[in-house]
Amino acid sequence: MAQYLILALFLLGVWGLVGKHNLIKKVISLSLINSALITLFVYLGSLSGSTAPIMLGGLEAPVVDPLPQALTLTTIVIGICLTALALVLVARIYRHHGTLDIRRLEKAGSEPPPAESEAAGEHGSGRGPTITDGLDSRPTDPGEDGPA
Amino acid sequence: MKNSELVDIISRKLVPYILLFGFYLISYGHLSPGGGFQGGVVLASGVTLLCLSRGVETALRSFPVGRMGLAESFVFFAILAIGILGLLLGRHFLGNFLPLGQAGEVPSAGFIFFLNLLIGLKVGVGISLILFALLREE
Amino acid sequence: MRRTLLSLALVLALGAVLVVGIGKVASPPELLRSYFASHGVEETGSVNLVSSIYLGYRAFDTMGETVVLFLAVAGVMALQGGRQ
Repeated sequence: MAQYLILALFLLGVWGLVGKHNLIKKVISLSLINSALITLFVYLGSLSGSTAPIMLGGLEAPVVDPLPQALTLTTIVIGICLTALALVLVARIYRHHGTLDIRRLEKAGSEPPPAESEAAGEHGSGRGPTITDGLDSRPTDPGEDGPA
Repeated sequence: MKNSELVDIISRKLVPYILLFGFYLISYGHLSPGGGFQGGVVLASGVTLLCLSRGVETALRSFPVGRMGLAESFVFFAILAIGILGLLLGRHFLGNFLPLGQAGEVPSAGFIFFLNLLIGLKVGVGISLILFALLREE
Repeated sequence: MRRTLLSLALVLALGAVLVVGIGKVASPPELLRSYFASHGVEETGSVNLVSSIYLGYRAFDTMGETVVLFLAVAGVMALQGGRQ
């Protein structure tokens, strides 16, 4: 019975990732998918026992499988790292474009970028490296690349 | 960030106990549910509560970024050193070379206790640094 | 509107495929669980079996995970750190 609920959680995460327009909601859906998979692993491991895997003396009840629990600890920490890096990228996108709506970002991305000078790209506003560093808006001359 | 008085008063009383609980979870990791990862995240949550109530500048005065970065790099090299020490003393890489004491006491698992402390420190410092960078206001 | 209908269709198709497979789950094999329950405490000295796995039998994965955490902290501080 519990596996159907976990499947519903996973499908909810996939629907939020694909069907929502806000970038923050997409990041939250990624974390939701992560949680659903971790719960599925621990649930499958708990089917073969009845108490927590702490072997203090006393009653001899069969303990739960400890291996999925130990492996999903690392998975949880990697999920934290993923969410942190995704949020930092979303913050930079917001600072550069001023919007978090993916429909407007798609429309802004399909237009040709405005011609920026090299000086404005290097010392932008004292904020450090920006997203458009290294993007060249000058049309390249095919005669320059051949063997001289 | 607007400072709310309720959060300020509560966090002043609560943050030391949260840090103490995090250290308890880390050091009793081989006897009861807990361990390095869980205790480290509780430590980071205590530091985050300090950030949310007083601002990042006040938290940075107690937990400076330079020293925390140094602690994180030190932990990685300490794990490597312990592993190579295990190789030199006759067992496999990261093998247990300390004597195992009585099961059920705190200094019993020998090797696992030190690894728990190192992992707890590393995870706590790492997540605190991530949250300092994300909560910083320009 | 198109995106919502498309995503709903995708989720329903995925659900129809997965719900058949997830009804047939079985518990993992018993060999490792009985080994850890009987030999875990005396080989590593820790009463907590989960700690004895990720710090005793498979400590190498834990060392790899600390590298991942270090990379994530470095990436976040490089992209956002700024003033310090």
